[in-house]
Amino acid sequence: MLELSEIFVSFQGTHVLNGISCSVSPGETVGVIGPNGSGKTTLFNCISGFAPRDKGTITLRGERIDILEPHLRARLGLGRVFQNFGIFREMTLLENIQVAIESRRDQSAGIFPWSKRTREIAEQALGFLREVGLERKANDKAGSLSGGQMRLLEIVRTLALGAELFLLDEPTAGVSPRMKEDIARSIKNLQALGKTVLIIEHDITFIQKFCDRIVVLEEGRVVLDGTPERVRNDARLQEIYFGKDERPGIS
Amino acid sequence: MTSILEILTSDYGVHLAILVSLYLILAQSLNLTFGLGQLFNLAHVASYAVGAYATALLSTDYGATFGVCVASSITLSALFALLLGVISLRLSTDYFAIGTLAFSSVISALLINWKSVTHGVLGVPGIPRPELFGIDFYQNGNFLALIGAVAILTQAVFYLLYHSPFGRSLRALAEFERAAASLGKNTRRTRNIAFCVSSAFAGLAGSFFAYYLNYIDPSSFGLGEMVFILTIVIVGSPGSFWGVIGGTAFLVLLPEPLRFLDISSAYLGPMRQLLHAFILFAVVWWKRDKLFPQRRTV
Repeated sequence: MLELSEIFVSFQGTHVLNGISCSVSPGETVGVIGPNGSGKTTLFNCISGFAPRDKGTITLRGERIDILEPHLRARLGLGRVFQNFGIFREMTLLENIQVAIESRRDQSAGIFPWSKRTREIAEQALGFLREVGLERKANDKAGSLSGGQMRLLEIVRTLALGAELFLLDEPTAGVSPRMKEDIARSIKNLQALGKTVLIIEHDITFIQKFCDRIVVLEEGRVVLDGTPERVRNDARLQEIYFGKDERPGIS
Repeated sequence: MTSILEILTSDYGVHLAILVSLYLILAQSLNLTFGLGQLFNLAHVASYAVGAYATALLSTDYGATFGVCVASSITLSALFALLLGVISLRLSTDYFAIGTLAFSSVISALLINWKSVTHGVLGVPGIPRPELFGIDFYQNGNFLALIGAVAILTQAVFYLLYHSPFGRSLRALAEFERAAASLGKNTRRTRNIAFCVSSAFAGLAGSFFAYYLNYIDPSSFGLGEMVFILTIVIVGSPGSFWGVIGGTAFLVLLPEPLRFLDISSAYLGPMRQLLHAFILFAVVWWKRDKLFPQRRTV
């Protein structure tokens, strides 16, 4: 599904990603962890097209995407959920979903607000909101939602876009424990739909529930790549997070 | 009551209605870029000038018909925006405002100094009113019917634009450009289209302005005029379709009662500008958080 080969990214002479190579199979869920500054979000930005790479290639379903602009990558099935909430707060929940549906290649958009096609898209959008229990707030501004609801909206919006590969950047950051469960359900739903998911997350306990693999980054390099069980028990993970001599359990 | 009716049906009332119609086109078109697209576009008055001069010069120097003049004004203003957009839309917000202001100054300088074409500060006199279906548009009532119809049509076009997929894309990228791009929106193209459409309608307004006054000169297209159009959009609430309609009526008509006060005309103009400045200042202060929201990024 996704193939990263020798990706180098630097900002003003500082090397942030130092030759990352990694591949993700269709339908696989991969967790990306690592200490702050290890390059996790930069990796997602590079895949999405927001951080220019110095070297390396990225292919999505066999097609090179590193030479494409972000919107073209999105149209090829790359969906992004942002760390700091990528929803449009001034728009209603329904409009947030409509914007995504109207971008789909396989959907024509209605020009007039009263046209049949526009009504169909609104119905479709309402269906997506229903999936995450937000249909009652369809006409509220998205900015009025709680942090967890915003995440759910963003995930379901990316689903409405028709994305096949989901990049979820810390989906549980700033979210209540109860909403965390709802987000976990959403991610499991993506898996059930056969979507490929990459998740940046600090909480290993949370992601190991649904990750097939975990990739650990340190200083812009992949230092560990394996099953959650293997990564969790690897001594290097303890070193990366806590230093060489300390051995506390990882939450 | 009778006196209000008399004013409304008098030449003065018709003149005010024509002005409201003209500014409805100008303000609603600026609202597309400044309001919906959050582009601090200070070249709107330059597009207005391009449209006005296109009509003025084509109709006086070449005897072009109404249709040709209006179409040329719209096209040239859109092309002006295309050129400006290629350069300015690469700039970030503050620099974009400066870039468009610079372009506006260039147009102003051209209008004054390119005398062989624009007639310089003397302006273009003798612009004939349109000739259509044998109707005498020198009658202001008839001209009002024409510009009123165009203004209503323009509002309808912008209403549809605001509620169309394009309008949603523009609002989305104005709020969070990267999120819009990650939803497959071509943000650069969307901005360029908005800029061209906005400019084209400013050109349309310019064309009617030239036809209405029968005379134009560079002084009508200065920074003061730009600030006035901007004030309408800000008072009406940027991005609000109905707000801009209300703002236009309010600001065009507000200073009119001053005319009936026993004040020398030497003070009347400055008083009007002071009033506009005060309103702009008050509204900007009152709505400062909403007017200049923080741009979001990853």
